[in-house]
Amino acid sequence: MDLNFIPLAFGQILSPLTVGYALAALGLAVHFGFTGLLNFGQAGFMAVGGYFFAITTVKFDWPLWASLIACVVGAILFALLLGIPTLRLRADYLSIVTIAAAEIVRYTVKTPSISNLTGGSDGINGSSRDFYRLNPLPDIRYGYGVLSYNNNEVWSMIVGWTVVIVAAVLVWQLMRSPWGRIVKGIREDEDAVRSLGKNVTWYKMQSLILGGVLAALGTVLVIIPTSLQPDNYGTQTTFFLYTIVLLGGATTVLGPIIGSIIFWVVLSLSDGILTLLVSNHLLPITSVQQGPIRFIIVGIALMLLVIFRPQGIFGKKREAHFSG
Amino acid sequence: MTLAGTAPRRKTRWFVVIFAALAASAFVFSSAGTAFAADTPTPTPSASTAAAQSIGVWVRVAADKSNVAGVKVTITGPKGFNSAVVTGADGKATVPLDKPGTYKVALDASSIPAGAGAVLGTNPRDVSVGVGNQGVPAYFLLGSAATTPSPGSTAKPSPGSTSSGTSFGELALQRVATGLIFGLLLALASIGVSLIYGTTGLNNFAHGELVTFGALVGYIVSGTMHLPGWLGILAALVFGGVFGYLQDLGLWKPLRKRGVGLIPLMIVSIGLSLALRYIYQFVFGPGLLVTPSDNSSFLTLGPVHLRFTDVSSPVVCIVVLLLVAFALLRTRIGKATRAVSDNRSLAAATGINVERVIRIVWVAGGALAGLSGALIGYYQPINWETGGSILLLIFAAVTLGGLGTAFGALIGSLVIGLLVDLSTLFIPSNMKFVAALAALIVILIFRPQGILGRRDRIG
Repeated sequence: MDLNFIPLAFGQILSPLTVGYALAALGLAVHFGFTGLLNFGQAGFMAVGGYFFAITTVKFDWPLWASLIACVVGAILFALLLGIPTLRLRADYLSIVTIAAAEIVRYTVKTPSISNLTGGSDGINGSSRDFYRLNPLPDIRYGYGVLSYNNNEVWSMIVGWTVVIVAAVLVWQLMRSPWGRIVKGIREDEDAVRSLGKNVTWYKMQSLILGGVLAALGTVLVIIPTSLQPDNYGTQTTFFLYTIVLLGGATTVLGPIIGSIIFWVVLSLSDGILTLLVSNHLLPITSVQQGPIRFIIVGIALMLLVIFRPQGIFGKKREAHFSG
Repeated sequence: MTLAGTAPRRKTRWFVVIFAALAASAFVFSSAGTAFAADTPTPTPSASTAAAQSIGVWVRVAADKSNVAGVKVTITGPKGFNSAVVTGADGKATVPLDKPGTYKVALDASSIPAGAGAVLGTNPRDVSVGVGNQGVPAYFLLGSAATTPSPGSTAKPSPGSTSSGTSFGELALQRVATGLIFGLLLALASIGVSLIYGTTGLNNFAHGELVTFGALVGYIVSGTMHLPGWLGILAALVFGGVFGYLQDLGLWKPLRKRGVGLIPLMIVSIGLSLALRYIYQFVFGPGLLVTPSDNSSFLTLGPVHLRFTDVSSPVVCIVVLLLVAFALLRTRIGKATRAVSDNRSLAAATGINVERVIRIVWVAGGALAGLSGALIGYYQPINWETGGSILLLIFAAVTLGGLGTAFGALIGSLVIGLLVDLSTLFIPSNMKFVAALAALIVILIFRPQGILGRRDRIG
């Protein structure tokens, strides 16, 4: 019986995927948890950031810093495009437009006629070039047993978690600032904040931009050690992020990060256990049927979380009304 | 705002809508109705093929995309492989192959019926078949020699590609027809979304899964149980309604009782959508499912051959939509539904049983979505995310028409259907949804309440 999946699952704690989802979830917490924006298109922000970064790096040969700026600019433009028509309307409109826009980004980058730019359905490889060149670590193996990494993987993890910590501190400080109080006020009662003379739409836009940029940077940290695949940014990614955010606590800074770790460890463990059961014929399903199970689990977990514990692990009950 | 005060004004609007729907149907019949067949040339790998590989031959007339039966096709390949097939009534023939490799597919020019013209493009043609490839397309178009052969005609003609021998005007007319049919199918699903939104305030992000459910019911009944098609459609209608009822009974009603807010409810609906979508994939697998339909010509109008599906689906849609309109306008429960949509508390205060109305709306919404799914199954192969992929079009249609207004959903659907299909004349078909999103953004900037919506709903 092969039990390697257990250490591998706990290896997810540090993996680039966890880093990327932690950042994107933090962005979603800024949108949904702190500001009350119902953004169902966080996957779209991730895809836009990823493509702006990968295209400028791989196709245009821009240096790392320029590509990072391009990635941030892309996320800001996307936020403006979605925010301008919808933020002055009720919460539903933002959710409809964002979920539609995220899918459309995915369809568009897969269009064959622009595949020399976007790589079509295959996505883009090799955006790690400049990033690995900055790697100061010696080229040896790090880690123990099945959890063994080369110097580039360790470099990605170090940079990734540094970015997550910096972003978390930034969001934490922002939410303690006057800006954060206004934004949280918008979540609780938009009209009250408006009556204090604040430009609610503009604050919402700032929040949308901030969260979107975090998601875009998160994607960069995922695609550098792996690759950019358009189908990784479908609606299910947004729903994963909601599960992560609600798991940890949408109105907290630590919640999305811990949520991301728990999410990927649990998902990886359940995949491992399923594989074990299926390969030993303990479950009457085929290996093709094994794939959808994780999504079914996440979907049901999301429903149960939002119904029975909307404040998540770390959140406060009174902050988790989301009356909209 | 009371119901009595708005009724006359709204009634005139609704007549406009109904007229538009009828005009649409007339248009569909007078123009190229087989265009839908051209839209979905996915090869149907025949289930009887036991071989590991196969080539799918399809012979059609370039001008009207009608299928050509009785054409002899010879396939020669490595190691002396030689096989001859004759296309069936649907213009198709499947050639089972034991080995992968490059095969030469030749149409016997003498077997082409008189009047169909000659083969456009290369003939014979080399088709390379990889390991395990089923139904590798070898599609031939026939036409008069004057028309230019389309480049690379082995590629499957996508909705966005310009077929040879078809002028821009004819193509636009075809797109109008397909767009209207698609709009009608979309309308069936959208009305449910709009009514559920109107009566409960919930944006149901799991509505696409109701559509998929109907499509799967249709597939089970007529695809695997080999019962007649109308039974499949009826079953989708009935089971869709049952599914909607059970969803409301088991999930949404208890949540309303708990007083869960609307935003958590929307998140519940995305969780439900994710779970249902992958339950479908778990049960039916990730592949495409083809509901068998009779592709033979049912009605011939001049050069245009209409399949039975092309005629029956729009008729079914229009009849059902008229019934819904009648129910909303003339019956007690319809009036109650509109009253609840207008103002829930006021309706409750006048003695309307709001919970009962909501239950009926869920049943009707589920049934209409199921019907829409089953009809979609006759036009194109379905899979586990068929409904999910049109969800954004449903939302675009509902928002365009005005959230919460049933007739707005109808108009919005027709507009979105037309827009999406006509946009493929100018942009690649993968990007056709961009047109729908652009329309959505424009309407939200200039008229956020939608075409038929009221200003006070949006703030």
